[in-house]
Amino acid sequence: MNAVNTWNSTQHFWLIILGFFVAFVPRFVPLMLFTKREIPEWFNEWMKFVPVSLFTALVVKDIFIDSKTYAFTMTGKLPEMIAAVIVIIVAYRTRSMAISVVAGLVAVFLLSLAFGGL
Amino acid sequence: MSKRTRSPKQVVDPNEPAWKTTLRVSMPLNISYIPIGLACGILLHAAGFNTLLTGLVSILIFSGGAQFLIATMLTINSPLLSIVLMLFFLELRYALLSSSLSPYLRGKSTRFLFLFAVSLNDENYAVNYLKFATDKKWTPHDALHVEHYSLLFWTVSNLIGSLIGSAIKIDLGVVNFALTALFLYMIVMQLKNRITVLIALVAAFFAVVFMCWTKSTIGLVISTLVASFIGFLLESTLRKRLPESHWLWKLRTHAGEPSESDGNE
Repeated sequence: MNAVNTWNSTQHFWLIILGFFVAFVPRFVPLMLFTKREIPEWFNEWMKFVPVSLFTALVVKDIFIDSKTYAFTMTGKLPEMIAAVIVIIVAYRTRSMAISVVAGLVAVFLLSLAFGGL
Repeated sequence: MSKRTRSPKQVVDPNEPAWKTTLRVSMPLNISYIPIGLACGILLHAAGFNTLLTGLVSILIFSGGAQFLIATMLTINSPLLSIVLMLFFLELRYALLSSSLSPYLRGKSTRFLFLFAVSLNDENYAVNYLKFATDKKWTPHDALHVEHYSLLFWTVSNLIGSLIGSAIKIDLGVVNFALTALFLYMIVMQLKNRITVLIALVAAFFAVVFMCWTKSTIGLVISTLVASFIGFLLESTLRKRLPESHWLWKLRTHAGEPSESDGNE
């Protein structure tokens, strides 16, 4: 993974500004609306499943999808796969974000070394 | 909002100034932001962001997931529109967080709501929601203080990460896994009943299908919308037709069956 991005700082700046708006609107609009009226139930029920669906899709992209060809791979990222199982167990046991992330980083680092050395 | 009474369990000076109280409440969150902020700063540096812009993105977007996503998508050279769309769908979940906090913020000025929304994120939401629910003395201003403390720790950690990122050479594949681990953690925290586990599997399946089909990260957006809508339909149908269904059972919070749903699609 040595792909270096070719964007310049001006492009990064505009990305941040656009990113600010798409991050800000979902945080602000419901606050403005619902400090005055009730939340529509069906919307709430639908949105409830968005985080789990999105995070799962992102994890699948990181572990099972080749970042260049977008082809499905079962074996291309073995260290990440094993580390993912470790993270799930650690997250479930500790309920701590920091410990889960650090455990995942240590696991994937050691596993990459182990598999790289074969 | 200077005087507050304390629950008897806590041994805290009753005259503790408000800034100290909110700092104490936010400290576990602040500490856990340090390693993740460092990793995020290093990753953004590796993706080509300079230190100034890393500070700016930490303040303006202030979302670990979003900043990791930006770094990842830049390293795979995604187009601007694709990144912004992904950010939008990633940040859409904040609509839920701010919806559920709104009962506690009734009657606040638009200016206050603006400030509150700007620095709201997953983690300070969790802290504040718990405080609002359990501590009657917890005010919207206290909540805003917690947000600002976490923002401060997050931004400084990102800046330091960006600076040491210039000095050290890192394996991007390894640091990038911080993102994967963060999302895995969030999935585990989301798994509340059996339907959620099923929907995680459905989302994993659709993510593969739509990403292989579209050859782009827009597949993530489509699969998210489809999977979450299936979850919504499934749950409301079950609630209506089969309210006793075991799919609605809650998962035990500790021990028992762990959520191995995502590592092994």
